[in-house]
Order: sequence, then structure tokens, then C-alpha cells
Amino acid sequence: MKASTREWWTGFWFILPATVLFSAFVFYPFVSSIYYSFTEWDSIRPAKFIGWDNYAFLLEDSKMLQAAKNTILITVFGIVVQNPLSLLLAILLNRSFRTKILLRVAFYLPVVVSLVVTSIVWGHILQYEGLLNGFLERMGLHSWVRDWLGDTRSVFPTIIALTQWQGLGYCAVIYLAGLQTIPQDLYEAAKMDGAKALNRFRHVTLPMLMPATTIVVFMTIVGGLKMFDIPYIMTGGGPGSASYTLTLAIYNAAFRENTYGYAISGGIVLMIFIMIVTLIQLKIMRRKEVEM
Amino acid sequence: MNKRSAKRKNPTGITLEIILIIAAFLFLYPIFYLILTSFKSPAQINQPLAMPDSLYWGHYEKAIEKVNVLLGLFNTSVISVGSIGLLVIISSMAGYVIARIPRRFFQFLFFFFISGMVIPLQTGMIPIFKMGVALHLIDTRTFMILLYAAGALPMAIFMYSGFTKSIPREIEESAAMDGYGKFRAFWLIIFPLMLPATGTLIMLNIYGIWNDLFGPLLYLKDPSKMTLMSQIVQFKANHQSIDYGPIFALCVMATLPLVVLFIFTQKYMMKGLVAGAIKG
Repeated sequence: MKASTREWWTGFWFILPATVLFSAFVFYPFVSSIYYSFTEWDSIRPAKFIGWDNYAFLLEDSKMLQAAKNTILITVFGIVVQNPLSLLLAILLNRSFRTKILLRVAFYLPVVVSLVVTSIVWGHILQYEGLLNGFLERMGLHSWVRDWLGDTRSVFPTIIALTQWQGLGYCAVIYLAGLQTIPQDLYEAAKMDGAKALNRFRHVTLPMLMPATTIVVFMTIVGGLKMFDIPYIMTGGGPGSASYTLTLAIYNAAFRENTYGYAISGGIVLMIFIMIVTLIQLKIMRRKEVEM
Repeated sequence: MNKRSAKRKNPTGITLEIILIIAAFLFLYPIFYLILTSFKSPAQINQPLAMPDSLYWGHYEKAIEKVNVLLGLFNTSVISVGSIGLLVIISSMAGYVIARIPRRFFQFLFFFFISGMVIPLQTGMIPIFKMGVALHLIDTRTFMILLYAAGALPMAIFMYSGFTKSIPREIEESAAMDGYGKFRAFWLIIFPLMLPATGTLIMLNIYGIWNDLFGPLLYLKDPSKMTLMSQIVQFKANHQSIDYGPIFALCVMATLPLVVLFIFTQKYMMKGLVAGAIKG
């Protein structure tokens, strides 16, 4: 055997386990999902091919539409609010405070706490008789008191705020890591050229942080679109369908109503969402990275 | 001395630090509140603003009596360690090969894996469920291990292939001269050099797996296989929010191991992120 052929075979055996596992548990379920999304299927009787009906029905299903709207809202908020906030936090945490390590740990801790626990604690805090309303009463802000999770208007903004609290530290840590890869002499060179702090931030920090930004935005999108635990535990999607997310709607369609084919078509739409948003984002980021 | 004079020159630094500390305290308050409430006596538990006057252990006793926390801890640990172990073994080999052998087949596989980053687990959940039933893997910890490892493969392979490029090729050549086979050379010489990437990978995945609810909710319904998270949700569903004390105690017990792990490894995580994830 030639040396290069032997190398090829070694590589083949090295990569085989990963390929098998990935094909079986990620790729195959995905491909068969595409097929089932065109069928009517309750998992007991065999699936019946019905063309685009599931997709057509998605557009008329008010719960699904509400879920899609909510899911987009979470993601947009993550990018527009949490993203700059976490950058600000990272810049502050990058300073050489005496309590630097403690502060970093403190802001990251909510990430370590699971969404299950987060939902339970916040669910208790946000009860009508809970900590938040009790605090507002004591401050004399009676008009602010409300049933945070029971009111169709306040429930989803509340859940969004909660996701921002939970994810802020994660984004900040990625930015912090990004900040530490910026060579110090770039700043010194900019200083020598007489650049003010704001200009140094615009022309040195921001462009150098582009790779970190790409990761943060990608994680925010994926995390937002997969949001399940918080509405599942805190509200069950309610009141009405006010706090439905796509993943929760898909879960209910499959395991509550046994409309598997329909649920899968929702899942496919979710994935197309992720793909489109990711592609747009990568395009924009790529262009920015080149521009700088 | 030097440090102190530098600090004095810059008083805004201290103001800013104090503001940040206050912000951190407010930010962390829900977590204090969780711990605080888990020690409140039943009489006090519905007074959210009250401070407990003594440590009440009753909720913990009740939680441990009603829920097999040790079993949950065991299941969660087995699944977390098992899936990350499997992930590290197979993704390091795959990432290494992709970085080292510039043949079309391996480059194709690289894009195949990377494309998996945008496929959410939820899309495939029903076919996965069906497959689990067919393979008699539903309600087994093995199934969860395989699923988590498979789901984390794209990111892991991406990281390892990036990291492999920073390892000089001469190391393998000298290993070959010493008579090492490819397999032994990889595990005895290359793999130990990948430790920073491995560390980052563990830190990036352990919290998500430990804390996952969606997987166990779908694929692990047998009470003797339940993870900590599904135990909490199950317990809450059985007691309909009347009895928050034991639920809070359960939450504290389920979170504590990760918090301890995080505090001991956070320094390393930062370094790993800087070395591994950002540079890619």
C-alpha cells in the first residue's frame, strides 16, 4: 500500500465513530423529519402523504403564529438589548478592579443555574403575592403592581426580561475573551496617533471584536429559537397562547395532540428560520470583518 | 504600595467598582432568594420580604424523603460524564484527521458536520423518539449519552480541528520514528497536547447537559432513570405550587454541584475560551 493510501485509511478509521454517531442521531432524524412533515401521522397508524397541507395549516394556526412572533421577539431582543449590554459589561469587567474575579463569577452565575431552577425561582418572585409586587408596594409604586405572568400583555415581556438576565453573563464572558485577544500595542499606536477613547473603541475595539460578536449573535439566535423550559414551567404557554414559543408549540402538537406530522412541519420551519437568520448574520458579519 | 498609589490617582475606578458591586448584588439577588427561601420556616415562606431568623432544614428533609435525590444525582452525573467522555474521544480523533489530512473526503465530512450546527435537536425529536423505541433505547441513560454526544459533535470537531493546526507536525514525525503507530501516537502524544481545547469543550458543554430538561422529558420517563431536572419538574407537577419549600430545597441541591464546579474552574474557563473558542 502507498503511504498516502495508508494515511487515508487511518483517517477513515479515526473519523468513522463520529460520522456514524452524527449520521444516526442528527442527520438521519433530520432527513426523515423532512419526509414526515409532508404526512399526516399519529405514530400509531402509518403515515399518510398529504403534500403541503401541514405547512398550509401552520399559517392558519393562531397558536403557531403567536409562537413564531414570540420566538422572533426573544431573538431580536437578545441581539438589540442583551448584546450591547453584555459588551458594556465585558468592557467594565476587563478593567483591573480588586474584586475583578468575584465580579466575573457573580455575573456569570445565572448561566450556571439551570433554566428549570431559574423558572421556578422567578415564578415565585413574580407571583401576585410575590417578592416583586411586595417590593413595589413597599416603595409606594402601587400602579406598577400586576399579575406579571397572568396578564396577556405583561407575560411575554416578563419572560424576555428573564432570558436577558439569564444569558447576559454568557455573552459578556465571550466578549471578555475577545477583548483579551486584542494586542495592547494597537491601543498604544492609536493613542500615539492622538485617538480619543471613543475613537479607539470604534476603530480598534469594535473591529477586533467582530469574531466574538459573531459567536455571541449566533448563540443568542440559537438559544432564543430553542426557548422551551421557561414558558413550559412558568406559564405552560399561557395565558391563552400569549407566551407560546415555537419549541413549546411543537412539543405540545406532538406529545399532547399526537399530530406528529404537523408538529414536525413546525420543527422544519423553526430550522429554516435558524438557517436564514444565521446566513444573513454571517453575511453581514463577514462584510464588516472585511471592511475594518 | 505601588498599586495603592495608582488606585488613588484614579478615583473614578473605585466609584465604578462600587457601582458594579451593587449591580452584581442586585443581579444575583434571585439566587440569594432561592437559597434564603429554602431555609425559611413554613410560617415565613409566603412572606417574600422577610428574612429567616434561623436555619430551617425541614424543606430539605421533606425533599429528600419524597425524592430520591441521590439517584437523580447519580443519573445526571453518569449522563454528563458519559456523554462528554464519548464526545471528547470521538471528536478529537475526527477533528485531528480533518486538520491533518487534506483529502477531499475529509473536507467533505467537515462541512457535513458543520452543517449540523444549525439543525436544532427539536426538529428531529420525533424520528429520534421512534428510533429509540425501535432500538429499545428509550428510558436508558445510554440513549441520552449518545444523543448529547451527537448533538455537540459539530462544535467540538470545529474546535479540535482548529486547535490541531497549532500543534507542530514534527511531533508526529518523531513519534513515528520512535515506532509509534498512528493510534498510539495520537492518544499518547497528540491528545495530551490538546488539553486546553478539551478543557474548553468540557466547560462549554457540561452545564447544558446537566441542566437539560427537554431530552429527559422526552426520552427518560422511568422514575429510576430521571435526572435532577426532570425530578424537580415532576415533583413540582405532583405538588402544584402549594409547597414551594421542598421544591426550592431540591433546586438548591440540584444546582450546588455545578456552582462548586464553576467556582473552581472559572479561571481555567476564561483561559480556555481565549485560547480555544475565539481564535477557533
